[in-house]
Amino acid sequence: MKIKKLLVAIYFFSLSTPVFNQTVYEFEDSLQEKRFYELISEIRCPKCTSGSIASSDAPVSRDLKSKVYQLVLDGSTDEEIKQYVSERFGDFSDYRPPLKGFNYFLWFGPFIFLVLISAIFFIKRRI
Amino acid sequence: MNQLLRFLIVILPILIVVFFAKVLLVDEEIKFANFEAKNFPAFQMNDLSGNPVKAESLDGIKLVNVWASWCVTCLVEHPFLTKLSKNDIEIIGLNYKDADSKANAWLQKHGNPYLFSIYDPRGDLAFDLGVTGAPESYLLINNKVIGHIQGEMNQIKWETAFLPLIEKAKQGS
Repeated sequence: MKIKKLLVAIYFFSLSTPVFNQTVYEFEDSLQEKRFYELISEIRCPKCTSGSIASSDAPVSRDLKSKVYQLVLDGSTDEEIKQYVSERFGDFSDYRPPLKGFNYFLWFGPFIFLVLISAIFFIKRRI
Repeated sequence: MNQLLRFLIVILPILIVVFFAKVLLVDEEIKFANFEAKNFPAFQMNDLSGNPVKAESLDGIKLVNVWASWCVTCLVEHPFLTKLSKNDIEIIGLNYKDADSKANAWLQKHGNPYLFSIYDPRGDLAFDLGVTGAPESYLLINNKVIGHIQGEMNQIKWETAFLPLIEKAKQGS
């Protein structure tokens, strides 16, 4: 009986995704490896509502990861790699949108809002 | 002072609701408006019959449609593309991560609205174009990409996104 349960458990474990996920990235040194994993967690999956390519197994994310891997091995800088990706997939692809145009509102909007709200509370307490 | 506060307490939530409603409801239009025109990436590829594709064949006003025989939504938009290809615009296919035998069989079965289809089994050209999956459509004017739609192409998207761009380009030239 116990063996049967064990076999069932093994069967279900064998269906879990890590078994099918056979992409292994090998690096020349640990710095490259560190950069690669940082980059893929900072590049947004173009096919997902929200999530980095590190967290996604969508076909386009797989392509992006292997491209980033290639570029890291070829010696491109982080900036060059992000530039390369955003040229193709737009500013949307970077989880840290560049400081320009409407993005100023994106970056500083919350702080402006915070100052406004605390000003209201401050004034209200004095009355 | 108190009145101002009361006013703010009422008006702020309303502003927030309006802001989010706007962002949520009109994001498609914003996307189209913000699309930055860029050059069609350089490529060296064959079409589905095995002939090399010339860059000049992308001149003029063209629709590049990303499709594959495994793609279900491509079948949904297929009748509309067929209609477009008859009267409105010349369409070039970009066959994406597919096998040429399957792709050709698909065209034979469902009809071929494309002038020709670029064969991109690994998705290299598609990657340079910024394709995230099939189907997607790009509007090209003289080798420049000026519009992009993800997902199914239909009458509404055609009229709201691409037609105005085409008219603008025609006026400009």
